[in-house]
Amino acid sequence: MPEKTNDKTIFSLLEVTQSIQKTISERYRSAFWVKAEMNKLNFYGHSGHCYPELVEKQDGKVIAQIKAHLWKDDYIRANNNFKAVLKEPLKDGIKILFLAKVSFDPAHGLALWILDIDPSYTLGDLEREKQETISRLQEEGIFNRNKTLKLPLLPQRIAIISVETSKGYVDFLKVIETNSWNYAFFHLLFPSLLQGDKAVEAICHQLRRIKRIKSHFDVVAIIRGGGGDIGLSCYNSYQLAKETALFPIPVITGIGHATNETVTEMVSFSNAITPTKLAEFLLQHFHNFSIPLQDGERIIVDTSHQLISEAKSKLHSELKLFRSVTENILTANRNEVRELLKSVFHHAHSQISRFKLIVSQLKDKLFSHASLQCKQTQMELKNIDKNIVNMSPQAVLKRGYSITRFNGEAIKGTHTVRSGDTVSTTLFEGNIISVVQSTNKLA
Amino acid sequence: MSDKIGYTEAFEELQQIVSEIEQGEISVDELSEKVKRAALLIKVCKAKLTTTEEDVNKILKELDASGTDNDDEG
Repeated sequence: MPEKTNDKTIFSLLEVTQSIQKTISERYRSAFWVKAEMNKLNFYGHSGHCYPELVEKQDGKVIAQIKAHLWKDDYIRANNNFKAVLKEPLKDGIKILFLAKVSFDPAHGLALWILDIDPSYTLGDLEREKQETISRLQEEGIFNRNKTLKLPLLPQRIAIISVETSKGYVDFLKVIETNSWNYAFFHLLFPSLLQGDKAVEAICHQLRRIKRIKSHFDVVAIIRGGGGDIGLSCYNSYQLAKETALFPIPVITGIGHATNETVTEMVSFSNAITPTKLAEFLLQHFHNFSIPLQDGERIIVDTSHQLISEAKSKLHSELKLFRSVTENILTANRNEVRELLKSVFHHAHSQISRFKLIVSQLKDKLFSHASLQCKQTQMELKNIDKNIVNMSPQAVLKRGYSITRFNGEAIKGTHTVRSGDTVSTTLFEGNIISVVQSTNKLA
Repeated sequence: MSDKIGYTEAFEELQQIVSEIEQGEISVDELSEKVKRAALLIKVCKAKLTTTEEDVNKILKELDASGTDNDDEG
């Protein structure tokens, strides 16, 4: 009861707050649905209760806020609903639709008492965020950027973002390290949280570290597994998905869950359902290299042998053919030579006979010409001889001619002798010595 | 040819030789040279399948030397 002192009525704080409590409880009898952003969940592990901070923002500014409480049993139920529907637990920074009563407690003040939370509202919100991330990356033209990179033929050097204690990490290493083909991998772990909101910054941080030494790696593998399907909405974050899409070497993911593919998985170079499958993906690349290598080796060996044996048999038959052809040619040539020889002899003989004939004819001709020539010459000689005989002084003298000489020289005119000169006249038979009486010239 | 041939080039060159041999484009005269080359390429490729040359300590040293994470967050 209020005290009365002089003219004042004085209430105790409890009386006032109890009055407020009464007013409020009368005014807000029933529960109602409210949508708000849960800035902080404020879960207290000791008591199991939560004291969420609820806000409403407009253009990034808080325009309304109120404290709330979510008792342990309600929290457990709501959280299970969330995990079932969203694959996400209740957490900071999500939009929720909740059933609440306005509660006022004299000791704790005004708060919203959350009775239930509708996970489908948050699901839609998370899905919208995911779609926003996708369309933003698509608008920026980087959604497929990582997929356009070229994975080396042997993705051998792997930067692993995972945790040492993760079952997925262990599974992954088991596959690549104990492969029965002796394929060699090099891997280095870059430890990171892999789920929940803090995972975004943690994974991005490791990606940036790997980027600085990227020349040592062929591929980055983000590996998670064994942690259930809860807390994976971080892989839908724009920041992580963008970092992955723009990463300068291929990023492959094996996040190990049964829910819808997250954006980070979508933009990654390649995504496998489980870490084991991811490791097998890498092994497959080794097979794709190794099998053609073995096939190639076999083909080269087989084909070479075949080529050589073909060449040998070809050479052999060529040789055979060569022999037979050359023999044929030799025989033919030999025959031809023989024929030619024969024909040469034959021709020579007939030529010789012809020449002999010509020679003998020539000889005959020569003889007959020569004897004719001789006869003519003899005849001519005879005539000449006859003439000579006719012309001889004896013959002339015999015909009555005589030669008169003076001083031994034949006198041919009167001028060489004078009267009284003794001249000698030669006759055919004998000489006359006479003295010139006179001379007279022939008129 | 360089004796430090990369495995990717080795693989591609080997494929080339295999296809030439398969297509019957290689004569017996060239065969010896090609087979010798192929043997070298196969050796390079097989070695790559089963060995790596990365050194963790070297990488970590390089990572330390490249500065802190904040450097490139700008």
